[in-house]
Parts: sequence; structure tokens; C-alpha cells
Amino acid sequence: MKRYFAMLLLCMSPIACVEVATAPGVCPTFCPNGTIESYDTIFTDIIVRDSAFRGYVQPYQAEAMTAADLPGVIDSRAVFVTNNMFTTTTPVPGDTTPVPLVADSVRLRTIIVRRDTQATNLQLKLYSVPVTTDSASTFLDLEPYFSNPPVDSVNVSAVLARPPITDTTTRRVWGDSIWTDSAGHVIIQADSGRTLFLYWHLDSLQAPLVVADSGRLGFGIRVAADSFATVALGTLESSRNALVSWYYHYTVPDTVTSEPDSVKSGVAPRAAAFDNFVFDRPVQPIDSDLVVGGAPSARSLLRVELPTFLHDSIDVVRATLILVPVTPVAASPADSFEIRGLPVLTDLGAKSPLAQVLTGRTTIHANVADTVRMEVTDMIRSWALDSTQTTSFVLGQVPEAASYTDIRFYSSRSPALRPALRITYVKRFPFGKP
Amino acid sequence: MKAVALAVGAALLTAQLPNRLSAQDSQFGIRGLGTPGKWESVRARSSGGAFAPFDGFSPLIDASLIDVRRLSGSVTGAMSRRTVDIAGTQTPLRGTRFPAFVIAGPLGRRLVLGGGFTTYLDRTFGISTSDTLIVRNDTVPFTDAVNSDGAVTDVRLAAAGRLTKRLTIGAGIHLLTGSTRVVATRTFTDTSYRNTTARDQVSYAGEGFSVNALYDLGPLRLAGWYRADSRLEADIRGTTVADNDLPNSYGVGVLLRPGAQFAIAGTATARDWTGSTSNGHNTLNWSIGTELGTPGAGLRLGARGGQMPFGAGATAPTELGLSAGIGKQFSAGRGRIDFGLEHLQRTGTGLSEKVWTFLLGLTVRP
Repeated sequence: MKRYFAMLLLCMSPIACVEVATAPGVCPTFCPNGTIESYDTIFTDIIVRDSAFRGYVQPYQAEAMTAADLPGVIDSRAVFVTNNMFTTTTPVPGDTTPVPLVADSVRLRTIIVRRDTQATNLQLKLYSVPVTTDSASTFLDLEPYFSNPPVDSVNVSAVLARPPITDTTTRRVWGDSIWTDSAGHVIIQADSGRTLFLYWHLDSLQAPLVVADSGRLGFGIRVAADSFATVALGTLESSRNALVSWYYHYTVPDTVTSEPDSVKSGVAPRAAAFDNFVFDRPVQPIDSDLVVGGAPSARSLLRVELPTFLHDSIDVVRATLILVPVTPVAASPADSFEIRGLPVLTDLGAKSPLAQVLTGRTTIHANVADTVRMEVTDMIRSWALDSTQTTSFVLGQVPEAASYTDIRFYSSRSPALRPALRITYVKRFPFGKP
Repeated sequence: MKAVALAVGAALLTAQLPNRLSAQDSQFGIRGLGTPGKWESVRARSSGGAFAPFDGFSPLIDASLIDVRRLSGSVTGAMSRRTVDIAGTQTPLRGTRFPAFVIAGPLGRRLVLGGGFTTYLDRTFGISTSDTLIVRNDTVPFTDAVNSDGAVTDVRLAAAGRLTKRLTIGAGIHLLTGSTRVVATRTFTDTSYRNTTARDQVSYAGEGFSVNALYDLGPLRLAGWYRADSRLEADIRGTTVADNDLPNSYGVGVLLRPGAQFAIAGTATARDWTGSTSNGHNTLNWSIGTELGTPGAGLRLGARGGQMPFGAGATAPTELGLSAGIGKQFSAGRGRIDFGLEHLQRTGTGLSEKVWTFLLGLTVRP
């Protein structure tokens, strides 16, 4: 019996082999009667009721602040105010008599998150601005303070051109190799040199500890270069804000023993409490164009009337949004930015909640007048598959309100240059027909 | 031993779904209704199909059920390795099928009832093509794959009655059913384009009937049969997408058994497929085979030839095959294992195929 059973199993074993049924097709002779047919259509009139809205993100809420000096284009300046610093201390336990602090120096850290690497002789100039500077302060309000002599300045290009200091002691103190100059500025590179940590060394005259200001400091930064003078500095919103470290000392009065008074010293870091940037160009009002970007940020809402046949028996393989700019973006090449198309969950106009998936994105290059194309395949595919979805999306800048740059596109009110969707789709395979 | 055989038999008879009851497929059937199944048991197929009209477990004709004298079941398994030759490029393919299942038992001395499944048209194939598409002023390479898995299955209910000592007639009704799972995929090399996949299930429906007879003249047994099938409807989600005419079949066979240890048989079958599709051809198939040794447990040899129903050009593709096999009874004749090996050569305009098929059959009489 076992012998028969073993023989049977042996015979059955080849039957369990894996199936391979696919061979190269010789069409149409030895192929099914039908093919996957592709179509490509530019839909010029399915984007309707498009509008632009401004005010989503204010410049003081942005992830970066732009300092730029592009003659004829923009003069943008970054400003920030630090948190309060204590000006007295009570070093003797039980004795409430305050002892004044004496500020020795300040080390200021600023983080350059974007710069034009082609810029030569790139300089950052530090100005003192009132500690009362706030979100209502305008370019004109602060202009007098930027007309004063700078508190300090640093030639970033020159510092980076010097050889780095890489000795063990330096690396132990700073955590990495540093570039420095004779004035004591220190630069540490991160992200393969894309991000620069710039440390300023200020004495007590450049950064005084003023009791009336509660120890706060207000600074403004201008940028200069032979050309392409633009940088973006990190802000509180990106956790790359400016930071001051107060180096101070005070005297501990000896009232108990005959020992002479002793001197204590310390360091107290204070982060920026407010940061912003101001520029000399007035914010353009929203008109019939589709505006994206700027500060405060503008977004454009585009509604799509997807043809019914795109919901039935077709599959979208590529969809491209076509936008015609009204004018090129006037800016330094380093100020090129990304815009993103985000589908709305439900159409509530300017306050439509946005989905963070199935997004499209494209880069807007400065000083280029070309038609802008954004791949929105995933978004259109999802609309074609689910007819209950809201077929609207919003164009926004990334990051928002971090720069003076914005772009204007022709809207559906301009028939010849209105937004369009180019959709490549395939029809359903005609199964079942021999 | 009996328990083991019964268990294995039961497992074989119940483990497979009807849409796996397919014969070996062919590229010639892709652009057509499919590849016709071989309505033969392993024993008959090992003899080139020549014994099919005279074998109770071959669903070719119904009158042969008369030889099933106890309740019995039989299943056929086939593992094929097929080489497709397209303009000198050879592609190896393989597949496993269970193309026939028959169960039958007598109702009295002169009447036997039977039924089962067999493959009517195999619809299992896969093709892959690569090409380029001119879109957006660009040349975009892509690869299309169309896969179909399934078959049109013939569910048969048949009866055979012995009218006289020499004459037996049979009749059967056939329900054509089954489905294929179909998938079409286009894959773009350029990742800007999303790949697209369409899936569906095609259900088939049709019916037919068959009448046939066996006539004994001493050592000679003659067979004749006729089968008519209606139209084959292909439905997708309740909508008929195709409706094709099915052929009528005619055939004759002769078996000569001059002694207990030797038999020789031959058949000829004609089917008219021209009305089915635009590339359909009428077919005439023949077979000749012999069995050496005791019936059901001997050495079988056979050859077959004829035409395939679908193919390009004015003439039908041809099929030529050789086969051999043996059988072994066990448990005092209550069970039988049949082994077979078949080689087919198919030739048509623009394509040829070589098929090696290993056949395994199990017949049990509980």
C-alpha cells in the first residue's frame, strides 16, 4: 500500500509546478481582438470659477525670512527681537538685595538656510533696531535704523574662502570644523554646505544690556553682494531662529566674612521672540489673475469640471496642469521657489480644507517666462475613480510667506491663456471579444 | 490500500474548481474562441484519442458509458510544457490542467447514467508586447500584458442505453459554463506616466446536446456521434459582450479487438468553426491507436493529426501528435492509475508550437 501511495505522490508532484503562460505577442495575428488604446487631450475649458485669495500666512509666521538687495527688484530686510534678559541677580541666599549684571559680550547665532552660491562678496550687515519692532512695523518705519552705521558686518564669501579650522580642540568646542575671520565671526556648514550657522561676536557696546529694554535686543540684517544678493534666514517657525548668548559677570558682595568680594560669571542664551522681514515693494492687490506666493501669502483655488466620460471606463495615466504666467518672476535665481497643488477636501472657497496627499508640485524659476506645467496625475486619477470627490485644488507656495516672490497666472477670465489640463488616458480593454 | 485510493481519488475529484478544468492551451486559440479541449481520458489520450469513443471515461461520446458497470469516477491531470516558436524566437511555457472528470454508474442492466466536467475551450494565455507611443511630442516606450486565466467548461449529463445486443445509443445534454479572469496592464518606462491595469471576469454560457451510438460486430465495434452546440455568450458584469456561434461535430470511430491482449482503433472527427469567428476554419481530425495487454491495464500507443480551428491565413493550422502510456490496476481492479506522455507539433502561419504533456489519470470504483 505504501508503495502505491508513494508512487502516486511521486506522480502528482510535477502537477504542482508553477504555471508560466505569458509569451511574446504577435499582434494582431495571435493577440486578443483589442488593444489598450491611449488618448491625449488638452482640456482648455474645464478649469472654471478660479480665484485667488491672500492672507493665509503672514511674513512673521513664515519658516524663513528673506534678506535681499536686488536693485530694481527688491530690497528686503530681516529683523528680530530677542527675549528678555535678566539684568540683576540675588547671589546670596537669604539676601534679596539685587546685584546688577554686567554684560561682557554677546554671541549671536543666525542660520542662513538658503543663499545664492553663485554670489560673490556676499556680506551680511547687522543693524540695531528698536525692541518695539513688531508685526506692524513696515519697511519705511525701520528704514532710519538701517540708515545708521551697522553694528557689525561679515563677508561670508571671504570667510568661506579661508581654510577651515579642523583641529581637535576646535571641533570639541564647536562640534565641527569652522571657518572664521579676524573679527571673530564663525561659520559652520551643514547639509553639505547648503545651510550656514553664522556666529557673530558682539561686545557690550554693540549689544548693550539695557535695563529699560528688559535686556531685549533688536537687530536687523541687510545683505549685499556683487550680484545675487539674497539669503533666507531661519525663523522661530522652522526652529532655526536667531539666538543670542549673553556672557556676563556680577560681583557677590561679602557681608559676612572678611574675604574680599568675589566675581561670578555666566552665560545665558536667549532666543528670538519675534522675527519678520520687510521689503520695499507694496503688496499687490488681488485682481482677476491667479496669484501664488508672496508675503502675506496668496493661494489660488481652481475648480475642475471633469468630463463625465473620464469617470467611465478610462484610466488616467498622466495629467498635467498648464498655467501661463502673466510676467516672469523678478528675483534672483536663488529665489526660485516651488508651488504645490493640493486637492481640497470640500469646497468652501478661500477657507477650503486641504488634503496633503495626491499633490502636484513644480518649480517656478525666476526670470523665466515659460509656461508652467505641474504634474497632477495622482489627483486627477483619484477624481476619475471616485466621482464623489471634490474636484478642486489650491495652488500655494512652498514655504509660504518666506519670500517676497510671487507669481501670477492668467485665469479662466482670459480665454486665450486660461489654465488647462492635459490628460493622457487609456480606454478600458475590450475584454471578452474573441 | 482501498482507503488510501479512495481518499486520493476523493481529493482529486473535489479539489479543483471547474475553471481549472482546462486542456493545454495554444497561441492559435488566443485570437478566436479558445483552444478546444480534448474530451479524452488518459487511457484514450495515450492512444492518440483513438479509444475515446470506446472508453466510458472519455466524455467524447455518451454511448460508451454503457461499459461502466459499477459506480465509478475518473479524473485526468495533465502537465504541459509548451515551446512557442515565433520567427525563430522560442518561448517556453508550462501549465497544469485537469481537463476531464467523469462519474458514471448503471441504473439497471441496460441503462447507465453519467456526468462530469470537461474543457470545451481553453482560454488561458498571456501575451506581452512592447512598443512605443507618440504622445506629447515624445516617444514613450511601454509594455502591454494581457492575461487570461480560465476556460469554457462543458458540464455534461448523459445516458447510455443498450437497445439490442449489438446496438447502444447515448445522448447527453451539455451546459457550457465557466469563466476567465482577465487582466490587461500597460507599463510605461517613463515614470511620468502611471501604469494602468484593468481587471475583469468574463462569464460564459451556452448549451448543447449530443447523440451517438455504438454498434458491435463481433470483434469490431463501430461508433458514430453528432453534437450540436448553440451560441456562446460572453458576459461581463451582466452585460453580453460577445455572442458567437458554436460548431456542430460529427465523428466516426472503429475498434478492432481480435484477441484479449490486443486492440486497435481509429477515429475521424469533423467540426465546422467557420461561423464562429472570422478566422475560424473547419477542422477534420483523425487518430489511430492501439492497446497491448489487458484492457485498461496495457501499453498504449497512438497518433493523431488534423487541424486547429483558429489561425491566420486561408488554411487552418495543423496539429500532429504521438502519444504513449500505460495503466496499472490496484485493489482488485477497484482502482486504476494511468500514465501517459503526449507530444504535439502545431504549425500555422507565423507560429509553431511543440507541446510535451505528461498525463496522469485516476479511476476509482468505490
